[in-house]
Amino acid sequence: MNFKERFLTAMNHEEPDQVPVMGLIMDPATVNSILGRKPTDFVGLLHKPLLGYPIKALLNTNWFWNNMYYSNTAGALEGAIKLGFDANWTIYAIMKLDKDSRASSGWSWYDPFGRIWDLAADADGNIAVNYSRALCDTEDKWEQWVQKRAPLFEDMITNIVSFHKKLNSYGDRIYPIGYAAPGIFENSWQPIGFVNFTRLIYQKPAFVKKVIDFHTELYLKSLDAVMKSDVEVVLGGDDLGQKTGPMMRPELIEKFLGESYRRVTQFVHERKRKFVFHCCGNIYALLDKFIEWGFDGIITLEPTAGMELGRVREQVGHKLVLIGNMDVSYLMVKGTQQEVEDAVKKAIRDAARGGGYILSTSHSHPTVDPVRLKWMVDAAHRYGRYPLSL
Amino acid sequence: MDAALKAVDEVVKSQNKSAVKEAVDAVTQALQVVGKRFQNGEWFLSELVYAGEISKEIMNLLSPLMQSEPSQSQGTILIGTVAGDLHDLGKNIFINYARSAGFKVVDLGVDVPTGKFVSAVREHKPIALGMSCLLTSTEPELGKVIQELKKQGLREGVKIVIGGAALSQRVADDIAADAFAPDAITGLDIIKGWSISK
Repeated sequence: MNFKERFLTAMNHEEPDQVPVMGLIMDPATVNSILGRKPTDFVGLLHKPLLGYPIKALLNTNWFWNNMYYSNTAGALEGAIKLGFDANWTIYAIMKLDKDSRASSGWSWYDPFGRIWDLAADADGNIAVNYSRALCDTEDKWEQWVQKRAPLFEDMITNIVSFHKKLNSYGDRIYPIGYAAPGIFENSWQPIGFVNFTRLIYQKPAFVKKVIDFHTELYLKSLDAVMKSDVEVVLGGDDLGQKTGPMMRPELIEKFLGESYRRVTQFVHERKRKFVFHCCGNIYALLDKFIEWGFDGIITLEPTAGMELGRVREQVGHKLVLIGNMDVSYLMVKGTQQEVEDAVKKAIRDAARGGGYILSTSHSHPTVDPVRLKWMVDAAHRYGRYPLSL
Repeated sequence: MDAALKAVDEVVKSQNKSAVKEAVDAVTQALQVVGKRFQNGEWFLSELVYAGEISKEIMNLLSPLMQSEPSQSQGTILIGTVAGDLHDLGKNIFINYARSAGFKVVDLGVDVPTGKFVSAVREHKPIALGMSCLLTSTEPELGKVIQELKKQGLREGVKIVIGGAALSQRVADDIAADAFAPDAITGLDIIKGWSISK
């Protein structure tokens, strides 16, 4: 079997030749480390006298941004190929740089949805980006924001199409999993802030529904743009969970978001694609909903939030493909080779019988160690051959 | 929220000290119930947040009438999000609940450098220091603060609890923190235990 057959066989809950391994490689630090590339220190350049504003202007052009972003994603795919992954996620995002007195570097990004992302660099000069704060903490600010950013939304959709089409060229070397991100829930609450959003849920539910409806329509356009490429398995997602449980009561999630998710899966299935939902946190209480909404699979299954593969498999059977669960807080950062191997064996034992499991880290971040990623892939090749003997 | 604030408004207008005390006690007890239900998985984060917001608004109305009361503080808690990390949702939930439980809370904010944690411990002499950290990449900051507190001879005088999405008991053990809290309410329970045994 080649990587594509392997991945799709597992997606169909059948046993391939071996457990497929999916990469979530995207952080510039990880990409540069795998490929032995020297990073361009944009943050350092921004602080040089006379250079800050020209660099800002350059980064804010559609052309430069898209080339820089594609270069990093192409690097991520090259890195994933080098480490032996069968598939890797591919995410498009667009952000604009601006001066920001509240940011640690004096600069931050804003995205089309109304979030501020802090811009920083690690010791080697790799760009690091972290969600910082909301820009639309009132109804008026939100209304004005989405009205003003309409051209940016259009650019984003156009860019998603060309980005994923360009990645088609990797299709004979690795399986790109197109990710339409961020999701409807995150795009709805993060630009408003969770505390404000929570107040609005109870005090102005009609406004919250309006926001969610707006992002549902926009999200369907994003999905459509991803699916204009050869991508056959589409990732979408929302972090509906936090460390100990869902962020909102499941009935409330159903009330506000259920119809949106049903539309998403119907939209994807009509186009003969599969839909895998990225959802961080402790989500046992939502697994039945995921099946009801029509998701084909779920990814992250964070061990630090108490997600155990065996328990999840027991709860959902083979109604969902499971992807992930390899810890990125300790194991993939500083775990020993033996610990990585043991975790891979346990994941395969708990979830891979009968297919329907794809080995992956639970998430990505800049300190995930490529050496440990390689150990994970090697262990999957060693212990993940079907029929399983573990 | 509107109904609760209306009721409190009546209490404020009455200027009745015992009614104020009853209202404060009611808020404290209500938040304990909310916290327990959250820990038991019966209630969810949005409900925990909303209850915290209601209590904050109520306490804002009542606090001017409480200033003449003798201090009922259970002790001082210092809290902040470590350097390089800007996340504050869990920290802010904790602050609402801890204040309602009678603690004085000094909030150092987000992206707090090691030196600021250390000088605040020296200045406020808290019974507990809470450090929040969502990102795995900023996790080493927790250990740096503890090392610096040791170096400056301040570690023995303060209990340390850590919390945040990326953390676990393993991290707490590795850096020699006194406790790990998976959520804000558990963190508060741990500190209440320390407060009682002090």
